[in-house]
Amino acid sequence: MASVAGGSTAQTPPVKAGESARARRPSVGRQLLERILSLREGSIIVVTIVTAIYFSANTSSFFTGDNFKTLLPYFAPFAILAAGEVFVMILGEIDLSIGALYLFAPILFYKLDASAGLGLVPSVIVALLVCAAVGAINGFFVAVVEINSFVTTLATLFAFEGLSLIVSHGTPVATPGAAQHTTTVNVTHVVNEHKITLPEQVHHISTFASVFGGGVYSELIWAVVIVIVLQIVLTFTRWGLYTVAIGSNKLGAGEAGVSVKAIMIRNYVLCALTAALVGIFEAVRAATVQPDPAGANEILFLAVAAGVIGGTLLTGGSGTVVGALIGALFLGVLKDGLILQGVNANYLLFYTGLAIIVAMTVNVYVQRRRRGHGG
Amino acid sequence: MFGSHKNYKFVFVNHVTTNPFFTPTQYGAADASKLLGCSYQWTGSESSNVNQMVNALNSAVTGGADGIAISLIDLHAFNAPVEAAIKAGIPVVAYNADAPGNARLSYIGQDLKKAGEEMGERIVAAVGSGEVALFIATPGSANLQPRIEGAEKAIKDSGKPITVHSVATGAAVPAELSAIEAYYTGHKSVKGMYAVDGGSTESLAKVMQKFGLAGKVKAGGFDLTEATQKLLSEGQIEFTIDQQPYLQGFLPVLQLFMYKVSGTLTGLAETDTGLKFLSKESVQPYLKSKSRYEGTSTAAKVIS
Repeated sequence: MASVAGGSTAQTPPVKAGESARARRPSVGRQLLERILSLREGSIIVVTIVTAIYFSANTSSFFTGDNFKTLLPYFAPFAILAAGEVFVMILGEIDLSIGALYLFAPILFYKLDASAGLGLVPSVIVALLVCAAVGAINGFFVAVVEINSFVTTLATLFAFEGLSLIVSHGTPVATPGAAQHTTTVNVTHVVNEHKITLPEQVHHISTFASVFGGGVYSELIWAVVIVIVLQIVLTFTRWGLYTVAIGSNKLGAGEAGVSVKAIMIRNYVLCALTAALVGIFEAVRAATVQPDPAGANEILFLAVAAGVIGGTLLTGGSGTVVGALIGALFLGVLKDGLILQGVNANYLLFYTGLAIIVAMTVNVYVQRRRRGHGG
Repeated sequence: MFGSHKNYKFVFVNHVTTNPFFTPTQYGAADASKLLGCSYQWTGSESSNVNQMVNALNSAVTGGADGIAISLIDLHAFNAPVEAAIKAGIPVVAYNADAPGNARLSYIGQDLKKAGEEMGERIVAAVGSGEVALFIATPGSANLQPRIEGAEKAIKDSGKPITVHSVATGAAVPAELSAIEAYYTGHKSVKGMYAVDGGSTESLAKVMQKFGLAGKVKAGGFDLTEATQKLLSEGQIEFTIDQQPYLQGFLPVLQLFMYKVSGTLTGLAETDTGLKFLSKESVQPYLKSKSRYEGTSTAAKVIS
């Protein structure tokens, strides 16, 4: 059973004879494993669990409550970005401009709040709307003008990274509403059976900041909610079905009466919105709005990687939002685990590359088997 | 000598982990760790992404690092995380870039504003009057902005009739080259051109060479890439300022180690690693040798 609609794709590779016959031994563990693996996200779930077990066994600090909190920002932002990107990838297209909108949205948010005095939440909303409009422009050029999506969104990537530098004058600024307030409270300690009351500094962030990315669990909650909602949209709504239909066979979908252009534009708008939202979350979390495009370009690659690792095809016609979350989780576990292990930066990239290849190989192998079972 | 101590693990959080500027810094950290029987980790962001740096800092805290050294390239992002690390009992020092108001225990690096001011004084002495360009890769970066502000201040304080143009060049050498070339093409009457970061300095020297400007336009900058060393020795620019990146790796390990073995009694010291003006003549030893101190060789050896 595939967890999303549109499990069938035109790109099904040939199944090797004999593969399915080998897996018929009845055992509870085996059956459970096969059951998990029969999910589209199954293989990456298994790979992620194995990776987490590896780090738990090798690094005492990995499987701890503290590290759980540390791990969250390693994957939650990417899960949200990848969730939007998946909707474009299922169409068989790509959106590179998410890097630029990730950069541009917080700068716009800052300008609207600090220069235009719009207030925090209205500034967020207006910044999101502007980025949604950029998404619509992407969609228009891809769907209506029919320029290749890689080229179109590469153009908007450059244009809006440039615009970010222009608007910000290339200067980082403090994120509005993200500043930490410090208050002093008296805390009573018991030292050698004497009660001592000492003033201690306690830090607070505003409600705005704790909702929009600054709170420890804020990004996680957003990520889970967004992923669940978008997975439901993808699996159970006409919008989702049409998206898969367009990705599988654009011409056929059009002839069957699907308004191809409208759906494509809508998906680009969705993708732009998730990118803008993550940009604002991350700016609030770090309490700084950075205009450097280099950092944003890296984010873009990781988000696309999370989608692909999670089981969404770059060629379109098939994909999963939950998988994107797991893909992001895999990349996050990998990076956090490697850093905890003490791996140096140059090796980190190397190991990340190796791990992605291994994960994708397992993915492809398991997917072939799954199709062999008629899943 | 210090009594038996555990193998301390110190984590360096950096903003451009794969940038060749920091190769000697990594050698410095490695050498100090070997000397003292500790280990170090080099991590952070490849692309000045402060969120990734904060993540790496948090991982270091979670992973029970014995000390952390971090380049504080942003004025706001690291204040809360650094404070949290110190509260968790992990000493944090800053290296290469510092942020006023951050709770870090010490700073090891160039006094950036002072370096800029001294550069400004040199500019005043060399140029006297007219138009001067100051090139900066990324305005606002906490490791560059104080330099350009210092230079502007020194020029302004001198009262000389010098007009300063600050020009942003971008973070990659190819873009910097074209930005500087474009500036010169549009401002042929410029009396002096100076850069406040390593990439722009290298690019500036290349532009000086391309247009044959040595002697006609005054020029100088910061840091010592191999290209900058060579062009300086040819006299394309008048000076560059070395900030000794090797020490920015060596000394944080030393300070954190001392702080640990002394039970917090000693070890920490604000350290200015550099205001070493290098000229056509004094750059010669750098050109002749390949060393870990400049990141040009992996081999440890005595240079004579």
